[in-house]
Amino acid sequence: MRRFTTLLLFVCLAATTTFGGGYQVGLHSMRNIGMGLIGTSLSYDASALFYNPGGAAFVKDKWSFSGGVSFLMARTTFQATDVNYQTHLKSQINTPLYFYAAFKPTKDLSVGLAINTPYGNSLAWEDNWKGRFLIQNLSFKAFTFQPTVSYKFGDILGIGVGLVYATGSVDMNKAVPVNGNDVPEGSVNIKGNASSFGFNAGIMVHPVKGLSIGIDYRSKIEMKVKGGTATFTVPASLGGSFPNTNVDVMLPLPANLDFGASYEFGKSNQFMIGINLCYVFWNTYDSLIFNFEKVSPTQAITRSAVPALYQSRLIPRIGFQYKINEVVTVRCGGYYDPSPVQSDYLNPQTPSTDQVGLTCGLSVNPFKGFSIDAAFLYIMGTQRTGSFSPDNFKGTYSNAVYSPGIGLSYSF
Amino acid sequence: MKKLLFIILSLALFTACERKINEFSVTTGSANFKTYVALGNSLVAGYADGALYKSGQAYSTPAIIARQLQLAGCGPFVQPVVTSEYGVGFPGSGPRLVLGPSTACDGSVSLGPVPYIGEKEPLAPVGYVVQNLGIPGMKSFHMFAPGYGSPLGLTTNPPTANPYYVRFCTEPMNPNFKVVDEFPKLMPTFFTMQLGDNDVLSYALSGGVGDVITDPALFAQTMGGTLQALKATGANGVVATIPDVTSIPYFTTVPYNGIVLTRQTLVDSINFFMSTYFGLPQLVYKLGQNPFLVADPTSPHPVFKVRFMKPGELVLLSVPQDSLKCYGMGIISRITSTPWAIPTEYVLTEDELANIQVATTAYNDIITKQLAPTFGVGIVDLNAKMKQLQSGIVWDGIKMNANYVTGGAFSLDGIHLNPRGCALSANYFIEAINAKFGSTIPQVDITQYPGVKFP
Repeated sequence: MRRFTTLLLFVCLAATTTFGGGYQVGLHSMRNIGMGLIGTSLSYDASALFYNPGGAAFVKDKWSFSGGVSFLMARTTFQATDVNYQTHLKSQINTPLYFYAAFKPTKDLSVGLAINTPYGNSLAWEDNWKGRFLIQNLSFKAFTFQPTVSYKFGDILGIGVGLVYATGSVDMNKAVPVNGNDVPEGSVNIKGNASSFGFNAGIMVHPVKGLSIGIDYRSKIEMKVKGGTATFTVPASLGGSFPNTNVDVMLPLPANLDFGASYEFGKSNQFMIGINLCYVFWNTYDSLIFNFEKVSPTQAITRSAVPALYQSRLIPRIGFQYKINEVVTVRCGGYYDPSPVQSDYLNPQTPSTDQVGLTCGLSVNPFKGFSIDAAFLYIMGTQRTGSFSPDNFKGTYSNAVYSPGIGLSYSF
Repeated sequence: MKKLLFIILSLALFTACERKINEFSVTTGSANFKTYVALGNSLVAGYADGALYKSGQAYSTPAIIARQLQLAGCGPFVQPVVTSEYGVGFPGSGPRLVLGPSTACDGSVSLGPVPYIGEKEPLAPVGYVVQNLGIPGMKSFHMFAPGYGSPLGLTTNPPTANPYYVRFCTEPMNPNFKVVDEFPKLMPTFFTMQLGDNDVLSYALSGGVGDVITDPALFAQTMGGTLQALKATGANGVVATIPDVTSIPYFTTVPYNGIVLTRQTLVDSINFFMSTYFGLPQLVYKLGQNPFLVADPTSPHPVFKVRFMKPGELVLLSVPQDSLKCYGMGIISRITSTPWAIPTEYVLTEDELANIQVATTAYNDIITKQLAPTFGVGIVDLNAKMKQLQSGIVWDGIKMNANYVTGGAFSLDGIHLNPRGCALSANYFIEAINAKFGSTIPQVDITQYPGVKFP
């Protein structure tokens, strides 16, 4: 226990800066969360279906199930540049979920289904806040369903591939700079659903006893909202300029290339250390494009492209595990997630800063095959000053995130 | 024990890692904002939409600046409060404009400026001392005009007083009292000055025929004298430059070439009539946009002293729109069937524009190169800022430009700013104050200020 405390303290002190990647969520299994979100080289349980389909075949039991939920609480403060104006994101709790089920018809073959929430972004600024012409509130939620096949060759090499079906919804509100007597200020709501396909493929090798190496690639998914609704609230005389209409929205979910390695050692493998390098192809997110159907000859907006110009990023992660005894296992870890957002494209829609995450976790196995898993993720907040230059919106953001979570795993 | 230590450490980490952002820190630098006085014309008074009315005045640029200076030790900033939404009324004062449906001569209904319905507020002295010395219509030399605030001067011919100043002049019955005499009574420590615009704007608003441009030598003398009087109280402050009239929508909304011809047969017949019947073969029309006709006194033509407007020449917003739209003003009158030029009071010609440019440049040179260094005051380069606005600016996601109504910054009179425009202007003043005095006065959140109100 002392070792664990000291380690956690060390990691926290070593990390001096910041918070908040893009709209990618890394909370997919409590055991992995406890170890700094690593997972590409692990095959604990059915969660390998997501982290590395190549590892799923290494799960020993015939049936394995795993599910859980995180309670993600983000706190963000905004201070405008040159103006004595400070505000906060409204507190809200987001609950990323996961559920995995794997079945092994033979010793080397595994089939399974992974359901989780790898992407999402949900935030609400205080009503009537300074940046409301950029964003007032936003809810983007996406579930992925991934049927997967995994096969291993002996105990050395495993390969796997899954088809990813993503389905999601977007609902956003922002202010429109028109004023009236009945409607003091205009606003627009954009709402719609999207679904799309991608894939997830991975390889895992166990070259020597105790060592596991994995590579996994999750493809880009183009989420396209077709026929969403744009509902404008504007003064009556401007109804022709801002008619209610249909809107198409295009949002790419970036590809990920993950590399991971882990090593088990000590008496009955009671220690494990693992690392992960995750390359996120954020450069695919060039802009958020809205195409409004033209329904009025005097319509003011038919197309809007909000530049994002994200840059691809490499996230290094590290995690440790210590089996205290047959019943209790503890974990900890950390990672550095550099923001994909450039300083002059820092949009309050995704107030992204470089982030350092610290995690710890605990599993209790009351009887064989059953595990209660808990994990805690803390993302250290410091601050970042930037602007969203296309809208001349400047300020300083400071974020902090904490996310406790709980899950269950059962295999037999 | 170890568990307890772990819990305490975790909690400590948790709180320690949560960061706060420092609030904006207000400092005064080398300025003393204790008693702030704003001096100038309608742009200072909070005049908008063609009138000085209650809510427009509440959003005057100096009132917005004062609220920010009050964070840095500034005392009360009192305006000569207008109590009605219609505005101060007296013979000759125009109605306040609002956006509403208006029916044009051709029966088409569109959204446009229409008079506000309400009661004129009678002109009456407010009866208290004010710090906003914004006097609509005031020119630089009026600072030294005796009796400029005397009610007796309103009825003389020509009037020697200004009704807006009569409302708050502290010695209305003293025939020798001048605006500059207010300063020793107010004892400002800080001032903003936006004066001299009318020295050239009044000429421009009259189409170059009903007013004269103030001689730059007189301008330099009276502006300098005003600054000297202000500095004599121990105050320091900033002075704004004079925006070019061509950057405001009153002069840029109606195009010079608003005659749109869409049929060749019509073009041919107009050309035939112009050359054969009216003896104006130099007026050649074509498909598409054609220039309006403007009066040309130098024309050798015995009857029709007209010419095409030239690119760059400006038609004023005051031009009778119905005459242009339905009765052939600017081309051929539907009533007399003869060429009908836009009267010269609605047009700024090349020569008039040259006079304006020369004066504006001279004034701004006097302010920036002569007065500011001499008196050690800061400069707010509104001329440059208004040019930027003309090409379009964006602030917190609100796009603004100098277009009439749709531009979002000007009020419905096309000359004065709306509340959002005033907030923008206030930020330019604050920027200049901070630059000059090394202070850190926060700018205002312009998103809290409304633009033009639509029905």
